[in-house]
Amino acid sequence: MKLAITMTVILVAGLVPLEHWPAQGLLLAITFTGLSLAGVTMRYLLRRLVLFLPLLLVFGLSVPAAGASDLAWSWTISMWLRCTVSFMAGLWLIHVLPFPELLSTLRRWRCPLVLIAMLGFMYRYTFILWDELRRLRNARDARAFGGNSWWRSWSINSQMIGLLLLRAMERAERTHRAMLSRGWDGSIRFLNMDE
Amino acid sequence: MTTIEPLAIELRRLSFQYPNGRRALDEISCTISRGDRIAIVGPSGAGKSTLLMHLNGLLPTTAVGTDEESQVLVHGAGVIRSRLRDVRRQVGFLFQDPDDQLFCPTVREDVAFGPLNLGVDRKEVLARVERGLAAVEMSDCSARNPAELSTGERKRVCLAGVLACEPSILVLDEPTSNLDPRARRQLLSILKAFTGTQIVATHDLDFVLDLCDRVLVLDAGKVQADGKTERILSDPLIMDRHGLEVPWRLRPANR
Amino acid sequence: MHIRDGILGPEVCVAAAAISVGAISYSLRRLRADLDDRAVPVTGMLAALVFAGQMVNFPLPGLPVSGHLLGGVLAAVILGPWAGCIAVAMVLTVQAVLFSDGGLLSLGANVLNMGVIGAWGGYAVYSTVRRFLGNGNAATVTAAMLAAWSSVLAAAALFCVEFACSSSTKGFDPRVVLTLMVLYHALIGVGEALITGSILGFVLARRADLVPALLPTTSVRAVGGFVASGLVFALAVAALLAPFKSDWPDGLDAISEKLGFARLEAERPPLLFEDYELPIPSISWWPHMSVSAAGVLGTLVVFAGALALAGLARRQVNSQEFSS
Repeated sequence: MKLAITMTVILVAGLVPLEHWPAQGLLLAITFTGLSLAGVTMRYLLRRLVLFLPLLLVFGLSVPAAGASDLAWSWTISMWLRCTVSFMAGLWLIHVLPFPELLSTLRRWRCPLVLIAMLGFMYRYTFILWDELRRLRNARDARAFGGNSWWRSWSINSQMIGLLLLRAMERAERTHRAMLSRGWDGSIRFLNMDE
Repeated sequence: MTTIEPLAIELRRLSFQYPNGRRALDEISCTISRGDRIAIVGPSGAGKSTLLMHLNGLLPTTAVGTDEESQVLVHGAGVIRSRLRDVRRQVGFLFQDPDDQLFCPTVREDVAFGPLNLGVDRKEVLARVERGLAAVEMSDCSARNPAELSTGERKRVCLAGVLACEPSILVLDEPTSNLDPRARRQLLSILKAFTGTQIVATHDLDFVLDLCDRVLVLDAGKVQADGKTERILSDPLIMDRHGLEVPWRLRPANR
Repeated sequence: MHIRDGILGPEVCVAAAAISVGAISYSLRRLRADLDDRAVPVTGMLAALVFAGQMVNFPLPGLPVSGHLLGGVLAAVILGPWAGCIAVAMVLTVQAVLFSDGGLLSLGANVLNMGVIGAWGGYAVYSTVRRFLGNGNAATVTAAMLAAWSSVLAAAALFCVEFACSSSTKGFDPRVVLTLMVLYHALIGVGEALITGSILGFVLARRADLVPALLPTTSVRAVGGFVASGLVFALAVAALLAPFKSDWPDGLDAISEKLGFARLEAERPPLLFEDYELPIPSISWWPHMSVSAAGVLGTLVVFAGALALAGLARRQVNSQEFSS
């Protein structure tokens, strides 16, 4: 349900004709309200926007740079507005839809079960790998003494990712064994909590 | 008249060699009766995990064909390819690292994984999840993300997932590793409440003293000693020879 | 690199999404055939790894920004093109849905660019080059690096095509945008190649068995792979050579024109490949050269880096043999 709402907002934002400022303003207002209702603080929103906007701004500016005209500018500005609206809609979705619910929504939308199972795994293992990455980073920092040349830190980072990869593959093997131990035979079954 | 097969596990000269040639198990023979609680101890690399993985058919990876060839018998029946599903229903395996076993986004789904695979219907699945979580005292965590739980809690959820399959034999690989003393005590009380057969591979000899009545010492792939817990663990010769130590409680000065 | 909502027109997004869905279904089918019941945990883990790996900062010398691994080719090399494509698609999906990093509507386009072109296309390049170079860790690393660079550039080129097709951009001239994209991504591709290569070298030195042999191929498939990699290269090269086509004068050229010469008619819609006469502007040809120079330089850097890393990998393998 919530996924559908978000997609609709984004679609509408994309379809709004170029100079229809009132409509864009309205969309902006809607998403902002939604965000406030979902309990998103202003600071959080601003922080995310700060990360999101710079590249977008540069991208947008490159169009008028080619030949400034009213049309170019209005395209750029409305693109900025569109993107921001969609971004905020996306943020809204994040705050109101927890991941397991997303998976059941996808199931209802007839997404192939294999993909949903893989997504579930990915979600779970991302946390585990992040932890391992953090541990590797701490171990690296404890011996780094700062002041590494960029070439050296590149190679250290690559080694970290490489090590993470090895551990991840080995863990996947062990997990497969654990799945077999509990009767896994390759077909994916879900517990339907809706009824 | 039906005769109840008294032997939970029977190993008949079990041998195993890894693809790189390393000989992990060398002609191991042993019997384990229903309800026994046996610990497998020994130095690292002795073959403990390898042995455990034979008990639910994870090894050898190429399936054994017939009952006669089978070197591992569970409840009197050989662990052969056609029977793997049944074997895994009867033998519950708790792995050392809970993160290897907790792979669903929520606790409830993970505990439900086993019963769902066994073809149990939905209402019964939910009931088993309830029972499993209650047995490990984690009933209030069913909707949580496993990443938020402590190691001890994750271990208990894994155990709940295994118990939900309602096995008659429980195999545990280093169950107390990474557990703080309170989590360890909780695990111990849960396992004591389990009435089926238990086979534990561990370095934690105090845990063995608390839980198991029989000990099997494994070293270099061979059974080096097999007998009652107190007798084996208090024998300094056996302990020293196989890289172990007499537990503090059993040392003569501390009795 | 992740395309946001609002940049591409909705029809383009829908079309791209349709193609992506088809590609993923195909990948799924091939994956299940290859990996059977191991598919789910292994692919999920790979996706998590790509996701985690993208978080690692690779500081750029002298710049306040840092580079990141994209991971499409890495995923494809480790687990094959099918798992690679699915893994990348999943990472993109989660990023879009959980972090709003990349649009939801344009998810299809993102998957197409980075999953299909990135993983599939990357693998095609990788396998073709590797077949050509023979066995050995050095060959693997080199092939992967080339694949990584060209897949990044090809993805950028595809984005330019999508952008040009978007209805929302009709009515003015997006040339500067496109040129900047290509330039920017030629450089990013170098970074990606270097990172992918060094990770792969590390993995090969420790556990060479984790990098599988190339998919067994019939002659048909080998030709198909060749054609696919040819397409990828063609896309990449086309992006580089685009400035020479008459209807796409170099963006920098356009700016310089504006400074002293005729202004671009912003109303003129961008017609692709309309006519091919080469308008050699009276201003110097330096802008044209700069774009291609970037491309050539990028390629040379990648080759040099590949050779260096391959040498390192060989040395590591040798020392491994000594120590074990």
